[in-house]
Amino acid sequence: MIKIKDLYKSFDGKPVLKDISFEYRPGECSLIIGASGSGKTVLLKSLVGLVYPDKGEIWYDDKLFTKMNPAQQKEVHKEAGMLFQGSALFDFATVEENVMFPMDFFTDWSYEQKLDRANFCLKRVDILNSNDKYPSELSGGMQKRVGIARAIALNPKYLFCDEPNSGLDPNTSILIDRLIHEITREYNITTVINTHDMNSVLEIGDNIGFIHEGEILWRGNKEDILNSDCRELNGFVFASNMTQRLRKNIGK
Amino acid sequence: MKKSLENIGKYYMLMCKVFQKPDKWNIFWKQFVVEAHKLIIDSIPIVSLISIFIGAVIVLQTANNLENPFIPKMYVGYMAKESLVLEFCSTMIALILAGKIGSNIASEIGSMRITEQIDAMDIMGVNSANYLILPKITASTVLSPLLMLTSLIIGLIGGALIIILTGVINLSQYVDGLQYSFKAYYIFYSMTKMAVFCFLITSISSYYGYYAKGGSLGVGRSSTKAIVVSSGLILVFNLILTKLML
Repeated sequence: MIKIKDLYKSFDGKPVLKDISFEYRPGECSLIIGASGSGKTVLLKSLVGLVYPDKGEIWYDDKLFTKMNPAQQKEVHKEAGMLFQGSALFDFATVEENVMFPMDFFTDWSYEQKLDRANFCLKRVDILNSNDKYPSELSGGMQKRVGIARAIALNPKYLFCDEPNSGLDPNTSILIDRLIHEITREYNITTVINTHDMNSVLEIGDNIGFIHEGEILWRGNKEDILNSDCRELNGFVFASNMTQRLRKNIGK
Repeated sequence: MKKSLENIGKYYMLMCKVFQKPDKWNIFWKQFVVEAHKLIIDSIPIVSLISIFIGAVIVLQTANNLENPFIPKMYVGYMAKESLVLEFCSTMIALILAGKIGSNIASEIGSMRITEQIDAMDIMGVNSANYLILPKITASTVLSPLLMLTSLIIGLIGGALIIILTGVINLSQYVDGLQYSFKAYYIFYSMTKMAVFCFLITSISSYYGYYAKGGSLGVGRSSTKAIVVSSGLILVFNLILTKLML
């Protein structure tokens, strides 16, 4: 479980996160949603330690992440996997080497053991017969899958996904969403996803926090979101004419 | 001024991250070999090409300027050797390497930064600075003196070739000049300069790449800054080392 308490972050005196508190539970896909510039990327980066908050606490189970020194944070990082918006696969490495990368650093497994694990992870995300390809030879969807395979290579307790669907067609997006959801349930991972894709929200949103101007204005799940009274949330969810018509049709 | 101090502070902090014990020595040595090949071995052709021509030009220019019959012709070889050892094979080659390997390092690490590959390593718990930069610095610093020796040998061969082709002096006079007043310390001095210059090139280029921001334009900017700053510092350190060592 990850808990954040009164998290505050500002850049050049301008607050970006204003005393945010939230809880991310294991076995659930927790979504951070909000418009561009609302602070959701800063929140995700704070969670993984890429941005240092000015105030507040981040707890990984019973460990206070915000008070840890770099060596202690490194130990937490070993239990975490992250899927980046642009996949962030290493250009210099093949698909197989990308998935084996964390194993090279943090295990004493033999090459055969690492290869077995890499093949298992790649099979789990439906990437077959591409072990020797380089990231530039893969499609966007395949890159995301390899990114997921790399993120789960060491059986992480925590999985962070930054805009996992950006740049993907709707079908591939749904496949990626379902894959993340299945893996989260299967391995009881605490998954935090940063997105503004409404399909994802409605597909896998077990626990959703809506950020607006650095504050969490609404929290709930995918069933609650269509019936919310939060004006800002409705403005975000039903932004297009089509979604507004859909909303009328469902009687709200 | 404030910006410069900030850069020095950030550079120092980065070097503290770089010079830590590698997570796994076998990974470090594997990267060391890769970087040695990329930064040093791959530079041999360009260094050789430039050295052979410069050696030839130095011999021609010196021979043309030594018209006084009272000055022995062997001084052509002596002066060519001294010019190559003292200045050309270290400082000039380092300035050329600043362009070649400096831009290569800054753009490689900069691209990794803007495509979040460095963030991915950090989040895995890998010390990205140590993994990416330490093998580059150690490989170039340790092996660059060999590049200086290669440049010296090929430069002297270039001088010999032009003598054979044009006959400006006798080859034996040239060889006598090379052997005249040979100081091994000058070779040590030049190799030390080369190692220091290559440390500056790799660490400064890595610094600008590591903190690149602003997309592909930012990578281009960091690459340019890396070359400009490392070239400037090579000249400054050339002066300092010369004052200290000679």
